[in-house]
Amino acid sequence: MTGVLVLLERHAGAIAAASCEAVGVARSIANGGPVVGLLVGPGGAAGATGLGVDRVLLAESPNLDHPSGAQLAVLLAAAADAASSTTIVVPGTARGRDLVGRVAVRWNASAATNVTEVATSGSGALRVTRPVFGGRATEELELPGPRQVLALKPHAFSPPATSPAPTPVEPLALPEGLAKAPALDVRGFQPTVGGKGPELGDASIVVSGGRGVGTPEKFQVVEDLAEAFGAAVGASRAVTDAGWRPASYQVGQTGKAVSPQLYIAVGISGAIQHIVGMVSSRVIVAINSDPQAPIFRVADYGIAGDLFAIVPALTQAVRAARSH
Amino acid sequence: MEIAVLVKPVPDAETRLRPDAKGLALDPEGVKWVLAGYDESAVEQALLLKEAAPGTTVRAISYGPVARAEEVLRSALALGCDAATSLEAPPEAPTDAVSVARALALALTKHPASLVLCGKQAGDDEGGIVGPAVAELLGLPDLGVATNVRWDGGPGGLTMERSVEGGLEQGRTALPALVALQQAWNDPRTAKLPNILKSRKAPIERIPAAEVAAAMAPSAATAPRRLGFRLPPPRTGAKMIEYKTPEEAAEKLVRILREEAKVFP
Amino acid sequence: MVDFSLTEEQTSLRDMARKFAKGEMAPHAAECDRAGRFPEEIYRKAWELGLMNLNVPTEFGGSGLGLFEQCLIVEELSRACAGMTTSIIANCLALEPILLGGTDEQKHRLLDPFCASYHLASFCLTEPSGGSDAGSLKTRARRDGDHYVLDGEKCFITNGPFASLYTVFATLDPSLRHKGIVAFAVPRETHGVVPGKEEEKMGHRASATSTVRFEGARVPVANRLGAETEGFSIAMRTLDQTRTPIGALATGIAQAALDHAADYSKRRQTFGKPISEHQAIQIKLADMAQALHAARLLTWQAAWTIDHGQPGSLESAMAKCFASDAAMRVADEAIQVFGGYGYMKDYPVEKLLRDAKLAQIYEGSNEIQRIVIARELLARYA
Ligand SMILES: Cc1cc2nc3c(=O)[nH]c(=O)nc-3n(C[C@H](O)[C@H](O)[C@H](O)COP(=O)(O)OP(=O)(O)OC[C@H]3O[C@@H](n4cnc5c(N)ncnc54)[C@H](O)[C@@H]3O)c2cc1C
Ligand SMILES: Cc1cc2nc3c(=O)[nH]c(=O)nc-3n(C[C@H](O)[C@H](O)[C@H](O)COP(=O)(O)OP(=O)(O)OC[C@H]3O[C@@H](n4cnc5c(N)ncnc54)[C@H](O)[C@@H]3O)c2cc1C
Repeated sequence: MTGVLVLLERHAGAIAAASCEAVGVARSIANGGPVVGLLVGPGGAAGATGLGVDRVLLAESPNLDHPSGAQLAVLLAAAADAASSTTIVVPGTARGRDLVGRVAVRWNASAATNVTEVATSGSGALRVTRPVFGGRATEELELPGPRQVLALKPHAFSPPATSPAPTPVEPLALPEGLAKAPALDVRGFQPTVGGKGPELGDASIVVSGGRGVGTPEKFQVVEDLAEAFGAAVGASRAVTDAGWRPASYQVGQTGKAVSPQLYIAVGISGAIQHIVGMVSSRVIVAINSDPQAPIFRVADYGIAGDLFAIVPALTQAVRAARSH
Repeated sequence: MEIAVLVKPVPDAETRLRPDAKGLALDPEGVKWVLAGYDESAVEQALLLKEAAPGTTVRAISYGPVARAEEVLRSALALGCDAATSLEAPPEAPTDAVSVARALALALTKHPASLVLCGKQAGDDEGGIVGPAVAELLGLPDLGVATNVRWDGGPGGLTMERSVEGGLEQGRTALPALVALQQAWNDPRTAKLPNILKSRKAPIERIPAAEVAAAMAPSAATAPRRLGFRLPPPRTGAKMIEYKTPEEAAEKLVRILREEAKVFP
Repeated sequence: MVDFSLTEEQTSLRDMARKFAKGEMAPHAAECDRAGRFPEEIYRKAWELGLMNLNVPTEFGGSGLGLFEQCLIVEELSRACAGMTTSIIANCLALEPILLGGTDEQKHRLLDPFCASYHLASFCLTEPSGGSDAGSLKTRARRDGDHYVLDGEKCFITNGPFASLYTVFATLDPSLRHKGIVAFAVPRETHGVVPGKEEEKMGHRASATSTVRFEGARVPVANRLGAETEGFSIAMRTLDQTRTPIGALATGIAQAALDHAADYSKRRQTFGKPISEHQAIQIKLADMAQALHAARLLTWQAAWTIDHGQPGSLESAMAKCFASDAAMRVADEAIQVFGGYGYMKDYPVEKLLRDAKLAQIYEGSNEIQRIVIARELLARYA
């Protein structure tokens, strides 16, 4: 039996989606062992119930309002020892990922970040898969036991179903080392305001529309989907030539060459002049009413159907999944 | 102020990726090793701080097979770093992040710095482990992945911004400290031609492999073992999603993007 | 010993030029070509990075590179945009007469400003009445006390409208032919120096070319380069130095054409397979690759010869002539590989053909190069 400790990160009072995903992963590698959550900072155990952890350790102290990486590493190591965990899983957030190197050193653990697959293998080791070279390749690693620390790639795992059972919460005795760990002096925070989407050239997701969209007004369905994804908007030359959208939207030989993690082509036939501008995207999705459209030859996933039915449904589904 | 910048040789962005004969790592044949993109931002940050605070010196530090490490150190010197230290990789050349962090920490104990800068992650393994591990080894505060690092002159005065979920955090720390830099936010400069020529002749301090190996030894037991290095299979046409209603198609696609393709935002 | 491997220093210079070319020049090449825009901001950056006065020795603040290193850099720049490259390397051409004919005092006085901040210079040899027959130029120089007075018109002068210094060749007496030609360094602000408007050109449209008129321009004797009889020799020795980089410029165009053609041939499908799998296209690509490779090797050898202290007239003429002819052929075939798309301005290859053409004409037309080659050749059979 191996116990797994999960760092539960709270954003604005609610447990971050990335932490819920971490709980699911923890459960899958715990082999029936306990999955324990660590909550840090003022705010009590709010939000901890229903996550699917067996119990929660609460490290509460007013000066842990903005815990530093060093402080969190001390707390994680202490909590893992207190809970007899052999693996620590941290969410793939900006703060979470920064902890892995510290915990690896302090807790003498084998470490990996940006993990997209994980499984147990014999004698306490874990096998993990992670993308490297910007997703152009993957590597598989064995993390030897007895101790490992992992950060997950955000949204690479589905969160587990919530459970209504109440979760026992216990305080974590603040370890001695905490006082010595350098603190972080956070002086301010500006919430991101939902402004315009990312630039076409460096967006990690691009949603492009083609002539199949029909009119400049209806191009809005493409933009809605892009907004749901937090993606940049692109277009085929058919769209920019017709003046439905400015030339700066054009993807292809004579437009921009893009290589995002995800490219979604909506109502685009897949002419070679378009394809050369997007074929190096990591994952390509095509939505087109013609099942024979050449775009399906370069896409990884296809939906044959009317874009005006599919795209609004997809926009809904993406919004729902992201607001989780 | 003494600044140290940790720089890693990574394959040039145009490298055609190919697994080696054992299928465990990138085939190094014909690879051109360059300064990692994030590290360029770290070097740029160091140089900006140096320009703002005369008397500051910047030392670049790299670990790796000598030829690769010294090539990127020369790039760092050509950009304007003042000194360079190369940590010679032992024959088995461990590459796991914690071992590398121990090697870099060795150089930093020889050349204590009040500010250690590094890239957020390397462009090849994209680990992001080395910087925080170095900070932990040296007992330094680390400010995470930052932009806009400014020093107001005193020992108490490093401010920075870091992008976290939901917003931008402004932080401050006393020195010494370690900061990891976000890529390209500061538009890294290009080395000038005369400086490139000068850098070819500049001395590079070399810490010998035996000493490096001894520093790395404590993490040998936790080093991850490589099991495979794979390229995505060539595209053979789209996997078509079967569905009865648009909603079903949408849900299936979201699940695939999340669980199979792992690209859901 | 023959050794074709580059030193680490040479590799790092080439990489730096490649990075600049890709990052700063290539993104603006099509736009500048279309609009005929002279992208001064790019030239300033090139100057800042030390890519401009490549041949000026370090003691005068230049980069002090050998011809071989210059050629490595020029090829990379030209791969991104030959027109911009022409304007970037025009200083090498214009300042060479000062390096060859100037006294130490003149070198410091005239070259220092170019190395201290961004300035352009122009080489003024060609005249409307003839370029190839430089010995018969008509711009007059008349001695007047401690000045010379210049009258005449030069044409096709690269960077003419933007230069702050002109190196000018004028004759004391046309009947003396070569022996009457004198070289001068003429500051732009000299009264009577009148640059014309930019010409509309077929290619190299990011470069500016104009006439420069001299209307009684008074040039101090202190600005005469070399002796009164040495002007023609200075002009010819200048071109001996700068001809080889034109071979490199042409090689860069050919490399760009091959890159585009090979890449496109793997993507374009006809008759159910990529056109790169049709043998007719493979033969084209193979021939293009051979021409490119030969052009580069001739250029390298010419540069090596001159760097090793030999005149290299034969070698540099061969390099410039062969490489520019090769660039024309390779660019032409690249268009053919692209089919109709190659003929469209949306695609980058038609520009390469227009750009390659100039390399056959300027810095001594290829006809003149062949005359030189034949003369050198036949002399060996005397
Ligand atoms: C010199 C030159 C340069 C070019 N450069 C570029 C370039 O840079 N970028 C570029 O994109 N193109 C470029 N082109 C144009 C290119 O050849 C194609 O004409 C263009 O890409 C077609 O755009 P499209 O796919 O949007 O339109 P079409 O080819 O008309 O395809 C529309 C698609 O929409 C689908 N559709 C229609 N209605 C629906 C519906 N209700 N639901 C779902 N699907 C639907 C159809 O099945 C069809 O597949 C260039 C052409 C030339 C000649
Ligand atoms: C864009 C551009 C930039 C230039 N930049 C500069 C510059 O910065 N400074 C400068 O001084 N000049 C410059 N030139 C001028 C260039 O060097 C001349 O155009 C070139 O030397 C040819 O001279 P020409 O045009 O007068 O042709 P001509 O000399 O009139 O020649 C016409 C044709 O006759 C051929 N020909 C001439 N004589 C012979 C012969 N004896 N045997 C066989 N064939 C012969 C030529 O090869 C050519 O094909 C530039 C030209 C251009 C187009």
